[in-house]
Amino acid sequence: MTKKSNSNLETQIVEFSTGIDYFEKARKKGARRWLLAHIFFGSNKYFIFIVLFTTVIASILASISSVIIGNAVEQFLNANINSLIFFTVIILILGLLTPLFRLINYMQRELLAQRLERDSRKEFYANLLGKSQSFHDKQKIGELMARATDDVRMLNFLMSPAISLILESFTSLIIPVIFILLLYPLQLIFEPTIFTVLFLINLRSYNRKLSPITGRLRMNFGMINSTLNETLSGIEVVKGSTKEEYEFEKYEAIAKDYRDAFIEQGKVQAKYYPILFLAIAVTIGFTHSLILFSQGVMSIGQIISYIALLGLLQFPTFISIFVFAIIKLAGSSAKRLLELMNKTSEIDENLKGITQILQGSIQFDNVSFKYPGTDNMVLKNISFEIKPGQTVAIVGTTGSGKTTLTKLMSRLYDVSEGRILVDNIDIRDYALKSLRAQIAYIEQDVFLFSFSVFDNIAFGRVSSLDEVKEAAIQAQADDFISNLPKGYASKIGERGVQLSGGERQRIAIARAFLSNPRIVILDDSTSAIDSNTEDKIQQAIKNVLANRTTFLITHRLSQIRWSDIIIVLKNGEIVAKGNHWDLIKESEEYRKIFVKKFDIDEEKLLRGEI
Amino acid sequence: MKFNPVYVGLEAEEYDRTYKDKTLLRRIFTYFSPYKRYMLIVVIFLTISSLTTSFIPFITSAAINNIESSKNVTYLVFLIVLIFTFNILSFVFNYYRQINSAKAIANVVLDLRGDATKSILDHDLSFFDRNPIGKIVSRINTDSRDFGQTVELLIEVISSLVIMIIIIILLTIINAVLTLYMLLAIPLFFIVALSYRKYARKMTLLGQRALASVNSFVKESFSGIQIAKTFRQEEKLYSQFNEVNIQSYKVNLKRAFILNAIFPSLGIVQGIITTILVYLGGNFLIFNTINVGEFNMFLQSLNLLFFPLLTIASFWPQFQSGLSSSERIFAIIDTPPAVIQSDNIVPSKLKGEIEFQNLTFNYDENIKVFDNFNLKIKPGESLAIVGHTGAGKSSLANLLARFYEFQKGDILIDGISIKKYNLKEYRKQIGIIPQVPFLFADTVENNINYGCSSTTCEDVISALDKAGGSEWVDSLPNGLNTLVGERGSLLSMGQRQLVAFARVLLEDPSILILDEATASVDPFTETRIQDALEKTIEGRTSIVIAHRLWTVRHVDRIIVLDKGKIIEEGNHTELMKRKGYYAELYNTYFRHQSLKYIEEMGKI
Repeated sequence: MTKKSNSNLETQIVEFSTGIDYFEKARKKGARRWLLAHIFFGSNKYFIFIVLFTTVIASILASISSVIIGNAVEQFLNANINSLIFFTVIILILGLLTPLFRLINYMQRELLAQRLERDSRKEFYANLLGKSQSFHDKQKIGELMARATDDVRMLNFLMSPAISLILESFTSLIIPVIFILLLYPLQLIFEPTIFTVLFLINLRSYNRKLSPITGRLRMNFGMINSTLNETLSGIEVVKGSTKEEYEFEKYEAIAKDYRDAFIEQGKVQAKYYPILFLAIAVTIGFTHSLILFSQGVMSIGQIISYIALLGLLQFPTFISIFVFAIIKLAGSSAKRLLELMNKTSEIDENLKGITQILQGSIQFDNVSFKYPGTDNMVLKNISFEIKPGQTVAIVGTTGSGKTTLTKLMSRLYDVSEGRILVDNIDIRDYALKSLRAQIAYIEQDVFLFSFSVFDNIAFGRVSSLDEVKEAAIQAQADDFISNLPKGYASKIGERGVQLSGGERQRIAIARAFLSNPRIVILDDSTSAIDSNTEDKIQQAIKNVLANRTTFLITHRLSQIRWSDIIIVLKNGEIVAKGNHWDLIKESEEYRKIFVKKFDIDEEKLLRGEI
Repeated sequence: MKFNPVYVGLEAEEYDRTYKDKTLLRRIFTYFSPYKRYMLIVVIFLTISSLTTSFIPFITSAAINNIESSKNVTYLVFLIVLIFTFNILSFVFNYYRQINSAKAIANVVLDLRGDATKSILDHDLSFFDRNPIGKIVSRINTDSRDFGQTVELLIEVISSLVIMIIIIILLTIINAVLTLYMLLAIPLFFIVALSYRKYARKMTLLGQRALASVNSFVKESFSGIQIAKTFRQEEKLYSQFNEVNIQSYKVNLKRAFILNAIFPSLGIVQGIITTILVYLGGNFLIFNTINVGEFNMFLQSLNLLFFPLLTIASFWPQFQSGLSSSERIFAIIDTPPAVIQSDNIVPSKLKGEIEFQNLTFNYDENIKVFDNFNLKIKPGESLAIVGHTGAGKSSLANLLARFYEFQKGDILIDGISIKKYNLKEYRKQIGIIPQVPFLFADTVENNINYGCSSTTCEDVISALDKAGGSEWVDSLPNGLNTLVGERGSLLSMGQRQLVAFARVLLEDPSILILDEATASVDPFTETRIQDALEKTIEGRTSIVIAHRLWTVRHVDRIIVLDKGKIIEEGNHTELMKRKGYYAELYNTYFRHQSLKYIEEMGKI
């Protein structure tokens, strides 16, 4: 019986793993822990240390410069010529050292940032590769790709520049203040401290105001894109229905929203007070130092140094305008990645289950099914029996449950009620791998990897060219493959190797031949093509059906007509079952197909005369 | 400063400019002129805030001087108050400047987008054949946004320029020699900034490419995951992924290193020039050529000028990129539509008589589709067009819908040239069902009554009934109110066709143009579609590009096209008897739809 996994903390059942998963525990502890695990992973520890170290040193050097300048002024005022060379050299050294440390700092943070991106992408990829098919079935490629590209990229930006800028801002706030504390009268601490407090408070409210508007702007931009995209994709319909004006107004309205959001954002950004706060703090500090000078407590040089040190606070003030937005975005990205990675699959592999060569008799015993997390029964009370080697055609309109039925067959999902038996054994009692190895699935929109044709057919099996060729001959594909620029070695997607739907289907059929399965699931709802190819495809399908139990989802009457059993599904229920003549007699809708299409007299048909 | 000017636009597409700078600037100017008021405020307030910002360090140095030499308290207090005032003024004027520039730019961008979209919607189909939709959307939305960014940068540059000029002037007044040495920083800055930008751009493009490789590999893996799992290929995919991932890491690390070297490099320039200033300035200070405040000014000057210099240095390439963006938008606005009507006749209910008279049509300069083509269609007649790909079938339909312009000859509808009708009114009487029906991401109902203004709409249900029956809608989660998803993806191909039929039936056109779908549909829906087809062509002039056997057997007339010429004409039985071109076509396209074929399948 299948285990029901209902919490993130249960051990994930993984179908593939790359060895030790260093981040498994961290993933479950939340985004922050996970990011920290990456940042401190392996040799990254040393880089982070270097980043911290160089940041501190650079700030110290900058502060020293400020102090030295003040000292120089003092000495020059005292007409101390000898000090000129001394100070020039010092300034030069400081002027070269500071950028040097900054450079090292940037290099290290970039190293960290790129590693974060590389490693999180690797982790994400491996993790997703290991998830079951039922997991993947539920994902939209677009969503997955957004995670794997944008969100992973965001983590890079988190480290560089966001975290490193924040570290730098931090040291730029603290170290000058420490210098002020150590070198100048205590009271001069007052101004920068008050500024820092006001700065942090205002920063918080600024970000709180800005973030929803930035989000709105981003959303609006997405909307003007998708709206215009839709309108232009359907331009024939728009013009045909003379709705150009309507579509224009639709676009204008959203573009106006964008404009309003843009102005809103400008208003919020203009109100960034810390700039003013700093200017006022420096002015007050300056005044304060002048007063102290008049009291004889400070010298000119010290005033100059003090102002220069306060000037170092400009950096965090300006950086904070945009850096926190990045942190927020990166946090969201990390959360989304973790959400996906922490999802568990629901199928039990049953590693100790039965492994035996299947004969291929199949029985659906009162099967009902609804997708996990939904209320709707997609299949209801499905019962039928197939003998080994028989072909069953499943027909019905979209949403009737055809594809779902075949998914249950290969245990992509487990039934909600009832059971499915193969060779009289419940499929859940088989080892999943053994079961799947004997079922070939030929999908609707055949996906071929950008490998060679040979690799796409052999796909994992160690096979000789002869074996692959034989399979291709059976699948009526050898002709067109041999005519490709490089024959079987041609890479899919390369120039001259643009394959039609029918050709792709035949490659998929060849692939199925090579794996020699007992059960074949063929989803044949592809475009109808011209009669020449049609012959070939019919032959290929015939070949692959022979002596194998086959589920056939097809629209082709030529296939339906000759199947051993036809099952008509409507709204998840079987409304008709039997062979062609059974259905002609019992199902009005089935009969109507032939009557209407071929202008056959209904009475004659019922009597068995075509 | 909202963004780093050095990095902006490194990833921009290369674009060859055809418009001259002057013309573009004049054009851009006209877009800003409705917002003169905002722009005036921007210019004035910009100048004021730049002035106040640049004066503050000088006032500070005057105060320092004062405290060192004369110690005039009143004067000192005055200076301090002045500093306060200037700080506040600077902030306030900058605040209003930012708001007004946001207003001006946002509105200009809106106007650009609106004009471009309006122009696009007027174009005929040949425009959309030549220009992929993605590119058009990107030009209208993204290029306009980038243009806005460039204008923002321009404003920052002007501000930087003003600040820089004022500071340099004042410094020159104080001591020309020191200023001269300080000015050395400028060309050095420019050289460093610009040469980095060149190299940075190259690395950025390489980095982008490497990243694109990883991403496309990942996409492929996820797209084919079912196959990968079925054949247990995860291991192989993973090792290949690792290679590309590491490759991208290496390339992008290099890129990042290069990009990050720019600030330290500029820092070194700053350090060297500062050293020179310390030496010379110190000398001058010792010998009283300059005073304390002035010395301090010079030392601080490079700090003050750092960001303005950087902004200006990065300006030119960014400005060019911004002009390119604007040019792309103007190109869209300026392209004239190819289909132009010569008159504005509003047709009453058309009878549906069609005549192609000596029609010559070239699609593109090279591809000749029709040459002196003639065809008469009676009102209410149903006509099927068959032929190989490229024979001209779709072109005929498209010309009738006035989606393309033809070169010679004429098309008469009810005896009047198609060029003389009011295009919108004419199209209202034409119903077009394309091969792949397009649905909007809206409800079933809204898709069906799309063409109807609310006052002239019939019951949507009755349209569906006419189009083969409406019961299938009941099995949808929300019936008529079900959202169909992007392009109708939540419905089956067949269901989308039924919606397209219903939509056209609701419009009750005099002329029907139907391009039959080649995609296969389940047999039950197919029967419905046949019903729909039957009802739709009844009593209407119908031109069908036929792919169904049923269609060719039930229309009044079939014409067989080959390279733009009618080579055979008649009904199905006649044409089959002739055993000519049509019979061959039948063999290729229709045979497998016949009952005979289906029955023979059993014997293979």
